[in-house]
Amino acid sequence: MSERRTLDVSGLPPYDISNKSPLFWGQVLMCLIEGSLLCMLIATYFYLRLGVDSWPGPGVQLPGLTFSTWALIPLIASCIGSYLASEAAKKNSRAGMLFGLGLNLALAVVFLVLRWIEWNSFNFTWESDAHGSIVWTILFLHSYDIVADVLMTVVLLIIVVSGKYGPRQRIGVHVDSVLWYFLVGIWIPLYGVIYWAPRLIGAGR
Amino acid sequence: MTPVAERADVDVLRRTWGSKPGLIGWLSSTHHQQIGRRYICTAFIFLLIGGVEALLMRLQLAKPENTFLTAVRYNQIFTLHGTTMMFLFAVPVMEGMGIYLVPLMVGTRNVAFPRLNAFGYWMYLAGGLFLYGCAFFNMIPDAGWFAYPPLSGPQFSPGKGVDVWAQMITFTEISALCVAVELVVTILKMRAPGMSLNRMPMFCWSMLVQSFMIIFAMPAVMIASTVFLLNDRTLGTHFVNPAEGGDPLLYQHVFWFFGHPEVYIIFLPALGMVSSIVETFTRRKIFGYPALVLSLVGNGFIAFGLWVHHMFATGLPQIGEAYFTAASMMIAITSGVQIFCWLATLWSGRLKGTAAVHFVFGFIFIFVMGGMTGVMLASIPLDLQGHDTFFVVAHFHYVLIGGALFPLFGGFHYWFPKFTGRRMDEALGKLSFWILFIGFNVTFFPMHWLGMIGMPRRVYTYIAGRGWENANVIATVGAFVILIGGLVFIANALRSLSVGAKAGNDPWEASTLEWEAESPPAPYNFPNLPVVTSRTPLWTPESERAIVVGLREDRREILITNVLEAAPHHRSVQPRSSLWPMLTALGLAIGLAGSIFAFYWYYVASVLGMIGLIGWFWPERPIEVDP
Amino acid sequence: MNQSMWHASGSNALEVRELAVFFGLLLGAIFLVVIGIALLSLTRRHRGIQQEPLEGSHVPSFETESRLRIVVSVATALTVLILLGLTVVSVSVGRTVSASTAPPGSLPIEVTGAQWWWKIRYTNDDPRRIFATANEIHIPVGRPVAIRGGSDDVIHSFWVPSLQGKRDLIPGHTTVEWLQADKPGEYRGQCAEFCGLQHAHMAFWVVAETPDQFNAWFDHQLQPAAEPADDQTKRGQDIFLKSGCVLCHAIRGTNAGAQIGPDLTHFGGRKTIAAGTLPNTKGNLAGWIADPQNIKPGTHMATVPIQPAEMQPLIDYLESLK
Ligand code: HEA
Ligand code: HEA
Ligand code: HEC
Ligand code: CUA
Ligand SMILES: [Cu+2]
Repeated sequence: MSERRTLDVSGLPPYDISNKSPLFWGQVLMCLIEGSLLCMLIATYFYLRLGVDSWPGPGVQLPGLTFSTWALIPLIASCIGSYLASEAAKKNSRAGMLFGLGLNLALAVVFLVLRWIEWNSFNFTWESDAHGSIVWTILFLHSYDIVADVLMTVVLLIIVVSGKYGPRQRIGVHVDSVLWYFLVGIWIPLYGVIYWAPRLIGAGR
Repeated sequence: MTPVAERADVDVLRRTWGSKPGLIGWLSSTHHQQIGRRYICTAFIFLLIGGVEALLMRLQLAKPENTFLTAVRYNQIFTLHGTTMMFLFAVPVMEGMGIYLVPLMVGTRNVAFPRLNAFGYWMYLAGGLFLYGCAFFNMIPDAGWFAYPPLSGPQFSPGKGVDVWAQMITFTEISALCVAVELVVTILKMRAPGMSLNRMPMFCWSMLVQSFMIIFAMPAVMIASTVFLLNDRTLGTHFVNPAEGGDPLLYQHVFWFFGHPEVYIIFLPALGMVSSIVETFTRRKIFGYPALVLSLVGNGFIAFGLWVHHMFATGLPQIGEAYFTAASMMIAITSGVQIFCWLATLWSGRLKGTAAVHFVFGFIFIFVMGGMTGVMLASIPLDLQGHDTFFVVAHFHYVLIGGALFPLFGGFHYWFPKFTGRRMDEALGKLSFWILFIGFNVTFFPMHWLGMIGMPRRVYTYIAGRGWENANVIATVGAFVILIGGLVFIANALRSLSVGAKAGNDPWEASTLEWEAESPPAPYNFPNLPVVTSRTPLWTPESERAIVVGLREDRREILITNVLEAAPHHRSVQPRSSLWPMLTALGLAIGLAGSIFAFYWYYVASVLGMIGLIGWFWPERPIEVDP
Repeated sequence: MNQSMWHASGSNALEVRELAVFFGLLLGAIFLVVIGIALLSLTRRHRGIQQEPLEGSHVPSFETESRLRIVVSVATALTVLILLGLTVVSVSVGRTVSASTAPPGSLPIEVTGAQWWWKIRYTNDDPRRIFATANEIHIPVGRPVAIRGGSDDVIHSFWVPSLQGKRDLIPGHTTVEWLQADKPGEYRGQCAEFCGLQHAHMAFWVVAETPDQFNAWFDHQLQPAAEPADDQTKRGQDIFLKSGCVLCHAIRGTNAGAQIGPDLTHFGGRKTIAAGTLPNTKGNLAGWIADPQNIKPGTHMATVPIQPAEMQPLIDYLESLK
C-alpha cells in the first residue's frame, strides 16, 4: 500500500465547550424550529384578530398586565444564572455550575408560580372564542417549553451534584443555557403580542 | 494520549463503531448506515401499500357508476394514498438516502447526533404503524391529504379517523425534524478536512437546503394539524370555526405554507441524485456548479413565497393574486437553470447509458412536462379551470413521480453497489425503466385531458355520458403497467442482492468520497478519514490526497471542522449505541396515540418522553474524564 | 360535452380557452426543445453510448465550456423573459375573467352550497321578486350574472367549466364571481371542492335562454306552486303534506315551508333529481323517494315510509309542479 501523506489531528483538543461544538449547533437549530413555530402562532394571532369586529369577544377581558409584567423580572434575571452556569462549565468549576444552575432554577420557579397565579385570574378559556384559543395556545406551548427546560436543569443539577460528569455533560450545561436564553428571548415578543398589541391596536376592526 | 498510528487499526475501529449483535444490538443501533437502510426499506414498503391503494382507486374509476368501492371506502383510500405517499414514503425515503449517504460523502464516521437519528426512525415507524394500525379498527381518515376544515372538523367528521391523521402528521414531522437537524450539523460541522463549502457534492447541498426547508416548514403543519384541527376537534378551541371568530381559510394558509415547501422537500434531494448520476456517467465535473447551488438555495427561498397558488379559487385580493402568480412562475427559473446545466453536462460529457442514466432521462422528460403544467396552473385564470380537477392530479404525479421517483430509482441503481456490495442487473434495470416510463405516461397523460373536459378530482364515481370513460380506462391500464415495472424493479433488486456482480469499492469510477469506502461500507466508513483537495476528490490522484491520522480508535471519536473551509477544529466523542432512543420513541408514541382520545395522554407522553430523555442523556460509565 | 373548458360558451371561458391554447403551445414548444437537446446530446457521434470500459474523467476544452456557458446564460435569460411575459398575459386576462366584482347591471344570484345540493336564490331590490329554487340556474343569454356564493356546512366549489372557472363557497365568507353565456344552451356544473361522501354527486345545470324565455321562466318561478288540477295530484299533495316531507321541504302556496332540503315549488320543471344524479322522470323520482340512501348513499334526505299505494299520487303531484 502506497504511503500517503497524512494530517495528524491528535494535537487537537478532544472536546470543545463553546459555540463550535456540534451540540450547540443542534440546540440552535432546535431553537429555530421552536422559533418558527411561535412566529407562526403570532401570525395566527393577528390573522384571527383582523378577522373579527370585536377582539376579544364581548364579555372577555384581556389578560391582565400585573402578574405577567412582574413575572418578567425573575424570568430575565434567571438568564444570569444560566450565564454563570455555562461560563463555569467552560472552566469546569463545579461550584460555579451548582450556583448558576441553582439560581436559574429558583428564579424560573418563581416565574412559573407568578404565571400560574395569573392564569387563574383569566376570565376566559380556550373554549370561549378564537382569542381565548390562540392566547391559551401560546401560553401553554411557551410554559411547556419552560417546564421542560426547568426539568432538564434539575437533571443537570443532580448530575453535577453527583460529581459524576464528563465533558459531554458540561457541554450539556452550556447548551441548556443557550436554550434558556432563547425561551426568555422569544417570550418578550410573545408578551408584547398577547398583552400589549390588543391594548394598542384597540378592540375595534 | 494514545500514540498516533500511521495506519488505522481496522479491528479496533470495527469493535468501536460496530453495533452489538442480537436483537438488543439491532434495536439499540445508532449507526447511520443501519438507520438509513431502515428508512429506505420501510419507505419502499409504504410505496407498495400506497401503490396498491392507487390501483384500487384506478379500478374504481375504470368505469362510470362503478360499485367496486363504496363512497366511504374510496374517500378513505385516496386519503390514505396521498398521506402515505407524501408523509410515509416520499419524505422518509429521501431522508433515508441522505442519512446513509451524507456522512460517507462528507467523509466522516456517523451523523452528528446518532441517538437522535435512531429516535427519528422509530418515530417514523411508529407513525406509519399508528396510521395503519388504526385502520384495522376502522379509524380511517377520509378528508383528503390536506384535510380542510370544516369538513375535517368535529361536526362533519365524527369518529377518530381525522384525529389519527392529524397525530400521524406529528409523528412523521418529529422524525423529519430530527433528520433535518442531524444533517445540517453533519454537513456544516463534520466535513472532511479541506472540503470547503464550494467543494461539497451537489447531493449534500440539496440535503442541506432541504433540511433547512424542513426546519422552517414543518412547524407550520404541526400548527395546522395539531393546534388547529386536533384542538378544535378534541379541546373545543375555535381556530377554524367561523361561528366563534375562527376562519377555515386560516387553516388553508398555514397548511400550504408547509404544503408547498413540502413538495420541494421531496424534490430537492432528487435533484441532488440527478447531479451525482450525471457527473459520474458523463465523466466530467458537473457543469455550472455555482449556478446549481444558487438555484437550489433560491428554490428553497422562493418555495416559501407561493403557498397561495393552492388557494386561488378561494378568491383573494387581486394584487395578492398577481404577486403569487409571479412568484409561482419565477420558481421555474431555478428549476430551469438546473435542467440547463445538466443538459450542458450531458452535451459535453462522454455519456455512458447505464440504467441510472436511463432514469435520469426519464426524469428530464417527465419532470419538464410536469413543470410546464405547473406553470399553467400558476396562471390564475387557467388554475380556476384546472384547480381540483384531474389536470392537477396529472401535474403533481408528473412532478412527484417524474421529479422525485425516477431520480430516486436511478439513484437506487447507482448506489445499490455501495449499499450491498453488488451491482444491480443493468438489462433488467433498463427493462424496468422502460416499463415504468411507458406505464407512467399511459396512466397520467390522459388525466390532463380528463381535467380539461371537466372531471373533478376526489370523485368516487362519475355518471356515464360525460366522455370521461375512455381516458379513465387507459389510465387504469397504465397503472397496472406501472405495477409490472415496479415488480421488475423489485425482482431485480432482490435478485441482485444474492447473484449480482461483485461491485468493489468504486464500480462507476465516480468522483465523490462515498466510493472510497468499502462496499458495503464498514461501520467506521473510512479507516482513516480522507482529506479533500478538490470538488471531485476521487478524480484527483491518490498521491495528492492526504489522510487523517491521530483520531482515537478505542472510542467513537470524530473530527469537527469549521463551517466555511472545513479546517479541523477539535475532536469530539460520540455516545455509544443505546436502547433509550427506541424507548423514548415508544413512550412518546403511546402518549401521542392516546392523545386522540383524551388530552391527559399528552402528559403521559411528556412524562414518558422525559424519562426517556433522562436515560438518553445520563452520563455513560466510564465517564470520559478530561485528560 | 357540456362540462368542459373546451366547449366554452361564455366570454370568460372563451378568453381562458385562448389563454390555455397560448400557454399550451408555447410551453409545449419549449418542452420539445428541451427534450430535443437532451436526445441530441445522446446521438453525437464522437461518443458511443455503450463504450466499455469507462475512460477516466476528462475536462472539456475551454472553448466548449465557454460556449456552453453562453448558451446556458442565454437560455436562462430567455426563461426569465418568457416567464415575465406569461405573468403579464395571465394577470391581464385575470383582471377581467377572475374579477371578484361583477360588471354593473348584472343579474344577482345567491348560490349556497349544502351537502350535497345547491340552494339557489334570485335576489332583487324588490322583495316581491325574490325566490328560491335548487340545483338548476336559468340565466339570460348575453347578460352578465353575479354569483354570490356561500355555504352553510363545509367548503364547496361552484364550477361551470363551459362558462367560468371555480369559486369556492366557504362558510363564514361570501365569494363573488361573474359569468355570462353567449349562446343559449344547457351547461353542466359540478362541485369541485371535496365536500364529503357525495361530493361526486353534487352537480347542477345552468340553462341559458333568450331574455324572453328567461323572463317568462322568472315570472313563473315567482308564482306559488300550481294548485292540484285533478284529484290524483290533490291526493298526492295531501300525502306530501301529511308525511315527513314537510319537515325538510318547502312548496310555496302550501304550508310546507321547511328549508332543510331543496325547494320543490317548481320541482316538476327541473331536469334532474338530487343535484344532477338522476334525470327527472317519474320512475327515478319513485326510486329516489322510496330509498334515497340507495341512490345517493349518505345523502341527508331521510327515507320516509310511503305506502306503495300512495307513491303514484305523490310523484304525480311532484311532477305536476312545473
Ligand atoms: C415534486 C413536487 C412538485 C414540484 C417540483 C412542483 C413544481 C411546480 N408546481 Fe406543483 N404541485 C405539487 C407538487 C409539485 N409541484 C403537488 C403535490 C400539488 C397538488 C397538491 C394537492 O392539491 O393535492 C401541486 C399543485 C400545484 C399548484 C396548485 C394547483 C391547484 O391545486 O389549483 C400549482 C399552481 O401554481 C403548482 C405550480 C407548480 C409550479 C409553477 C412548479 C414549478 O416548480 C415547476 C418548474 C419547472 C419547470 C417549469 C420545468 C423546467 C424548466 C425549464 C425547462 C425552463 C424553461 C421553462 C419555461 C420558460 C416555462 N403546483
Ligand atoms: C409521491 C407521491 C405519489 C405517488 C408515487 C403516487 C402514485 C400513484 N398515484 Fe397518486 N396521489 C398522490 C401522490 C402520489 N401518487 C397524492 C398526494 C394524491 C392526492 C390525494 C388527495 O387528493 O388527497 C394522489 C392522488 C391520486 C389520484 C386521484 C384520486 C382522486 O382525486 O380521486 C389517483 C387517481 O388515479 C392517483 C393514482 C396514482 C397511481 C396510479 C400511482 C402509481 O404510480 C402507483 C404505482 C406504484 C405501484 C403500483 C407500486 C409498485 C411498486 C414500486 C414501483 C416500488 C418498488 C418497490 C421496492 C423497490 C421495494 N393518485
Ligand atoms: C330529513 C330531511 C328530508 C326529508 C324528511 C325529506 N327530504 Fe327530500 N330532500 C332532502 C335533502 C337534504 C335533499 C337533497 C338531497 C341531495 O341532493 O343530496 C332532498 C331532495 C329531494 C328531492 C330532489 C330535489 C331536487 O331538486 O333534486 C325530492 C324530489 C325530494 N327530496 C322529495 C321528498 C319527498 C317526497 C319527501 C317525503 C316523502 C322528502 N323529500 C323527505 C331532505 C329531506
Ligand atoms: Cu360540494 Cu364537493
Ligand atoms: Cu405548490
